[in-house]
Amino acid sequence: MARLTIDRAQKRFGSYLALDHVSIDVEDGEFLAVLGPSGCGKTTLLRQIAGFDKLDGGAIRIGERLVSSAETHIPPEHRKLGIVFQSYALWPHMTVAENVAYGLTVAGVRDPERARRVAAALDLVGLNGFAERRPGLLSGGQRQRVALARCLVTEPSLVLLDEPLANLDVHLRAAMEDEFARFHERTGTTMVYITHDQAEAMALADRIAVMDRGRLLQLATPSLLYREPANATVAGFIGEGMVLPATVLSAPQAGRCRVDVLGLEAVVRCRPGQPVTDGAKLCLRARDIGLAAAGQDGLAAVVERLSYQGGHFRLEARPACAGDILLHLDANEPAPAAPGDTVRIAIHDGWVIPDAEALREAA
Amino acid sequence: MSLADTATLRTRVEETGLLWGLVGLVALLSLLPIGRLVVEGLAPGGQLSATALGKVLASPTTWTATWNSLVTAISGTVLAVLVGGSVALLATLTDIRARNAFTFCFVLPLMIAPQVTALAWLQLFGPSSTLLKLIGLAPPLGSRNPLYSREGIVLLLGLQYAPLVFLTLRAGLRALPKELIEAGLAAGAHPLMVLRTVVLPLMTPPLVAGIALCFVSCLGNFGIPAFLGIPGNFIVLPTLIYQRLAGLGPGVLSEVAILSLLIGVIAMAGILLQDFMMRRRDFRITTTSSAARPFELGRWRRPVEILLWSFAILVLALPFLGLLTTSLIPAFGVPLNAATATLANYAYVLIEHAASRRAFVNSFLMSAGAALLIVLICVPLGYFIVWKRSRALRLLNLAAELPYAMPGVVLAIAAILLFLKPLPVLNVSLYNTVWIIVFAYLARFLVLGLRPVVSGYLQIDRTLEEAAQVAGAGLPRRLVTVIFPLVAPAAVAGALLIFLTAFNELTVSALLWSSGAETLGVVVFSFEQGGDSTYASALATITVLVTVGLMLSTTLFAQRLPQGVLPWRD
Amino acid sequence: MTTQTRRNVLAAAALGALLATTPALAQAPSGKLVLYTSQPEKDAAQTTAAFKKAYPNVEVEIFRSGTTEVMGKLAAEISAGQPGADVLLIADAASMEILKGQNQLLAYPGAKTEGLQEGSFDKDKTYFGSKLITTGIAYNTAAKEKPTSWTDLDKPAYKGQISMPSPLYSGAAAIMLSTMTARPDLGWKLFEGLKANEAVAVRGNGAVLKAVATGEKPYGVLVDFMAYNARKQGSPIDFVFPKEGAPAVTEPVAIVKTTKNEAAAKAFVDFILSDEGQKLALSMGYIPAKPSVGSPSWLPEGTRINVMPSDIAAVVKVTEADKARFATLFGN
Repeated sequence: MARLTIDRAQKRFGSYLALDHVSIDVEDGEFLAVLGPSGCGKTTLLRQIAGFDKLDGGAIRIGERLVSSAETHIPPEHRKLGIVFQSYALWPHMTVAENVAYGLTVAGVRDPERARRVAAALDLVGLNGFAERRPGLLSGGQRQRVALARCLVTEPSLVLLDEPLANLDVHLRAAMEDEFARFHERTGTTMVYITHDQAEAMALADRIAVMDRGRLLQLATPSLLYREPANATVAGFIGEGMVLPATVLSAPQAGRCRVDVLGLEAVVRCRPGQPVTDGAKLCLRARDIGLAAAGQDGLAAVVERLSYQGGHFRLEARPACAGDILLHLDANEPAPAAPGDTVRIAIHDGWVIPDAEALREAA
Repeated sequence: MSLADTATLRTRVEETGLLWGLVGLVALLSLLPIGRLVVEGLAPGGQLSATALGKVLASPTTWTATWNSLVTAISGTVLAVLVGGSVALLATLTDIRARNAFTFCFVLPLMIAPQVTALAWLQLFGPSSTLLKLIGLAPPLGSRNPLYSREGIVLLLGLQYAPLVFLTLRAGLRALPKELIEAGLAAGAHPLMVLRTVVLPLMTPPLVAGIALCFVSCLGNFGIPAFLGIPGNFIVLPTLIYQRLAGLGPGVLSEVAILSLLIGVIAMAGILLQDFMMRRRDFRITTTSSAARPFELGRWRRPVEILLWSFAILVLALPFLGLLTTSLIPAFGVPLNAATATLANYAYVLIEHAASRRAFVNSFLMSAGAALLIVLICVPLGYFIVWKRSRALRLLNLAAELPYAMPGVVLAIAAILLFLKPLPVLNVSLYNTVWIIVFAYLARFLVLGLRPVVSGYLQIDRTLEEAAQVAGAGLPRRLVTVIFPLVAPAAVAGALLIFLTAFNELTVSALLWSSGAETLGVVVFSFEQGGDSTYASALATITVLVTVGLMLSTTLFAQRLPQGVLPWRD
Repeated sequence: MTTQTRRNVLAAAALGALLATTPALAQAPSGKLVLYTSQPEKDAAQTTAAFKKAYPNVEVEIFRSGTTEVMGKLAAEISAGQPGADVLLIADAASMEILKGQNQLLAYPGAKTEGLQEGSFDKDKTYFGSKLITTGIAYNTAAKEKPTSWTDLDKPAYKGQISMPSPLYSGAAAIMLSTMTARPDLGWKLFEGLKANEAVAVRGNGAVLKAVATGEKPYGVLVDFMAYNARKQGSPIDFVFPKEGAPAVTEPVAIVKTTKNEAAAKAFVDFILSDEGQKLALSMGYIPAKPSVGSPSWLPEGTRINVMPSDIAAVVKVTEADKARFATLFGN
């Protein structure tokens, strides 16, 4: 039984369609990340799941229970979930302990049981001595953890996190990512994690839902998302993918087929049933391409930029025959070329992006 | 029905019940008096008639008074905002010393009746002015006092209501977190620029609330134009109404009702303008850090402190000294010195005159009660108006202005018309009891509580409420445990305004009081009218001292209140 | 039945009928009596205390406020259909005349009006003056001039130093205006002169008293008792009855038509008009409506005040026009 079912959810703001028939099933105990750029609808989706807004169409179920639809709406206080807001939303007039204990107080849990659970929650997030402090005096990371403790103390079966690491610095972010991962492992809570940062999503999630302009583009594991993006937008969004026009030359065999891209032939991955066609798109990642060795075939490209990444270079070049495409790859030290030079780029691997129509036929 | 569904149903019932309960209450307090006046204006004696309407609209005096009212109300508001606003900024954001004491002193003049202030200023500018005589600038006996003019009225209105703007703005400034100012300063902006581009835009809700309150207060003020306008032949709508009432004759109540409705229309137009200005803009402050670090004034600190304190002394001490000196002389006009000074007035007022003692207790209980009740109504009311955007309440929001804008005497007349006969079902009569006065106070001062609270809501980030919702708290619990503490500073500002205004108010209770239900304003007024100014001054002095005492006593339990609730405590 | 028995029966029946129809006369008045008054509070308290001594069974409730407020309250109550007052005692007869015209007053033909000043009571016996309040000129003891007549106020020496109660806001002042402008020796010329002399019209007598006592405006048109009471307490103020005469108002008492306690109301009127009531007014510093009772302490022995008679009915007819003219003259 899925813990959370979103079934063709629709939300309109005036004439603007913020959620366009989004359907996602989140398994019990799964860590789902909802990834997308600003304005893609992920926060709107979160607010629908939480119940702060009403749906215009479709339905949302938590477990067996219908919580949102065009006709029904169960208010947030009866949905039994937990949320960590982007701004943490800690109540300034209460101490840390009071903030964390709130959900328990509402549920009628009294001391000493309540005090015990609050202490346990604070322990879980590593804030043992902070019970009597006021939120105004805490650092960003500490507030983050209080928000998490507050969310967890009522032991909800579903936890929503709204870009929780957005306001933290890089090191803290890494540490908190660890926290979340360990926490998820330990408790097995279903978590829905909203973010625009794909590194986070990739690191933490069991599956990622990629959204753009109110639509769900692809729902898959991070690995699948990375290796087999379902369309050009996902391909470009994840892992800095490069999308090039290609012609499929042969039928798939053992998951691979031959393609011609900008005059260069290469063997790349494709889906079974990929037809031979000349209007295809190829998704390349930086690790899929490299500077051609002596004697190897390669795409002629003019180097535009070379930036040092610490141990290796990132080389950006434009193909001579397609100046509007920017390719980038990693090259070891020492610098293999300088801006303005022409280099040859070989393609080791790639993925033929399925045609949307074909996908639909297959579905 | 499943357990979850009954819970949902209960939530819905709670919310809807609360909403409609509030709608009913506000309709009762605001619409009922207005409705009764409309009936009196257009259908006196039960018969539809437009004669009063025609007479009022055709009279050129009506339009002169309307124009004058608009001019003085707008100018008075501008002055009050400039004075009250700058003082609030200086007192809250800079490092001047003795900030709390200053705030305390600046708010006190709200307690002194406008006519007392007017008289004190008149004497300051008049030939018998001690101050002017000292510096040799006293005008010769009989020369025209410059305060008997439109400019004099505007000056006094501005000074009277500057503390109002001060209170609302200060409550808002206290919610401003230091990061926002520090970010501006760090970007290299001059403090004045930070003020203009960061602080003031964010302070738009409390400023606009203060402006709206101020405008309506100036529009409906009777005491100052009565004192300064009548001799100067400068008429405004409230004094015109009083004039009509004094003239008697048939149909006078209808005319008075229509003129009051005219004031109400102008007040509502002002509020609609305010609403329009605030539309579609986000004033929410999302960080929860501590109060803003003051701007440092450096070498400007001493001059600014001197300026502020001299101003407070001028505005507060002057009228109070006038009261005090008059209370110590045996008869008006007798100079005060060691030989003439007497405490006989105090003795009479405190010991002999039973009505004075009763009036103290009555006024205190009614003002404190009204302040408390109104704030209790306004917190959920503000919730539904700002966050739930309930259309019914937003309309009623406008209606709440009317009982405050119209002259007190007209509200009293409306109350009489409404409550003279016993209440329909309960068969109990409110007339000639304290309860009719309480009703009038609730109706009149509702808006004094509502404006600050609404501006408070506009500054709060709603995720704070949403977090409580997710934690399982229903609306009543959220209102009490999360929302009320957040909106408390604004609410207390409102409660204070209501208490201070109601404690001394006169025009409403002048018609509604009865034996046993006297108010301080009524007793002082009757002393004045009878030529017993000395008794009036003694009573007024005691009132001021008692109020100061009450306000000071709040600092005793200030520790237990959340930060920022009391305006004079950091 | 024999003739004697018949006569006895008739006599008994007549006596019984007499007793049955005049219970009010047989019992003293009692119950609640509501008084609306604009007298100063102290005076109202004294009056009701004295009345209670005379009629101990009557419980008096007072509503006291300015004349405008009292009349406003009464108007609202009448409009709502339930006037709350039994008796009225207010400062101007013009308001009484208007109430009479609206048929709101109860006539009391049995009131004892012998000895009362001519013209101080309504000929239809609906309202009766309780005292005489004259208006004269008050001046600060330090003032340079000592006025003796109304026309003195038009002299240049008084420019900018005069205040007077505004007829637009004070019923008594309105009566004064109409009375004085009707006189050929004063007329509107007096007021035009006042205007030229920059006289200031303030809200009421209280404001005039303050202005004179502080010296702000050393000359003022003021009611007699206020000036004299202030002087008694030490205020630097003096008072003069101008040569041409002093306009007077009578502070009338009347019974409201819808009174629930007619007996007590009539008793109140009787009390006010009685020697005892008139002596009380005297002791409070007023000129009584019944001259035989005496004159107040501040009036020098044997002085005859030249009272300007006012025909109230005539005043009421012209008051609106006069007030409008005043308003235009003084620039509203």
